[in-house]
Amino acid sequence: MNAELLAALLVLGGALLAGVRSVLGPTFYDRVLAVNVFGTKAVMLLAIIGFIGDRSGFLDIAILYGLINFIATVALLRFVESGRYSS
Amino acid sequence: MDPVLLLDVLLLILAVLAAVAAMLQRDLLGSVMLMGIYSLLMAVIWANLFAMDVSFTEASVGAGAATVLLLMALTRIGTRERSGGDHSLPALVLVVLTGVVLLYGTSELPRFGDPQAPAQLHIAPRYLAQDIGKVSDSATPQDSPHGEGDFGHHVPNTVTAVLASYRGYDTMFETAVIFSAGMCLLLLLRPIPRRSPETVTIDESGSTSHQKSESVVLRTIGGMLIPYILVFGFYVQMHGEIGPGGGFQAGVLVAAAFILHSLLFGRAATDRWLPRWLVDLAMSLGVLLYAGTGVACMAMGGHFLDYSALDRVHPAEAEALGMTLVEAGVGLTVASVVLTIVRKVQGGTR
Repeated sequence: MNAELLAALLVLGGALLAGVRSVLGPTFYDRVLAVNVFGTKAVMLLAIIGFIGDRSGFLDIAILYGLINFIATVALLRFVESGRYSS
Repeated sequence: MDPVLLLDVLLLILAVLAAVAAMLQRDLLGSVMLMGIYSLLMAVIWANLFAMDVSFTEASVGAGAATVLLLMALTRIGTRERSGGDHSLPALVLVVLTGVVLLYGTSELPRFGDPQAPAQLHIAPRYLAQDIGKVSDSATPQDSPHGEGDFGHHVPNTVTAVLASYRGYDTMFETAVIFSAGMCLLLLLRPIPRRSPETVTIDESGSTSHQKSESVVLRTIGGMLIPYILVFGFYVQMHGEIGPGGGFQAGVLVAAAFILHSLLFGRAATDRWLPRWLVDLAMSLGVLLYAGTGVACMAMGGHFLDYSALDRVHPAEAEALGMTLVEAGVGLTVASVVLTIVRKVQGGTR
């Protein structure tokens, strides 16, 4: 097993843990954080896959995620801030 | 084992798990979050399959627009799922049967990555080589007058070449479909009349983004991020023929930047920057730009959307010029329609 694949699998493992937390997460904030972490892992995974496949286009998608992932998090938090959510 | 295949299998398993978890979740806000994770996973899977443009679309729509849209819907319907009692046995049988038929159908499909599959043999090699022009020799790769680094009439991103040139008509009507979706929303989702007391409270307390955010950190960091998103959207728009992306993706990205702005600074502030009439105008302007490019080609003696006729405007770059104009039209329409959709779903008032 080569190093890149190992790195990808480790990142995927981290993503899996974040995913588990997003289902279990006792409070809403645990879940938001888990989704955010998952997005970061996706950025890393895209960069690694791009390195494995030797494609530069992957970095464009990774940048896109870095920029956009923020919006979903902000929207979720604003939703809760507006007081329309009771768990 | 092939690393791409191994990652694919693991990612697909995760995606199925995320989808099932999203369905089982009784709390709708949790479902929205899990759908976000699902769409992240799908984007990585598409990228892993080298479907870069699809991945780009999934990334920008799934992460940028869909989550916000679902949240807007939740402000109207609440976050609790009504408990049980509405399960129908015949429906379950029907769904399982359909699934079995579909699975049976896949056994007939060629194996994954089979070089002998019909999809690889028919016209795909000619699209990939780009040695067929739509009309005469318009898309033939040829020696460029500008020397190295210029692609002649060859467009490196085959997806864009197919989308904007070979299948230019299809894309034009796709844009028209998006435009009509926007028009339908404008006509259907009228402002809610203030009848019941319940509606009034919705109107007054406002949905997620009626009032601005009070957090200084959020507003500062978010405000810094917006120009970068816009610049990146512009890059995706103009670079679509070389890298992944194009008008559709860029449109969603630009819309996402304005959605973020309205989340942080309130809808009134966004309306000052981007007046509503401008959004309505851009919606139709995009389709006009697309079809207008086609008509311009006709006026210059070519066929409809035959970019080689634009040679007189910009010699040797006619194909690129035509594609850029057409993609700009797509971007304009998509951005304004996405903005209109979010605006219409979020706002009880006009």
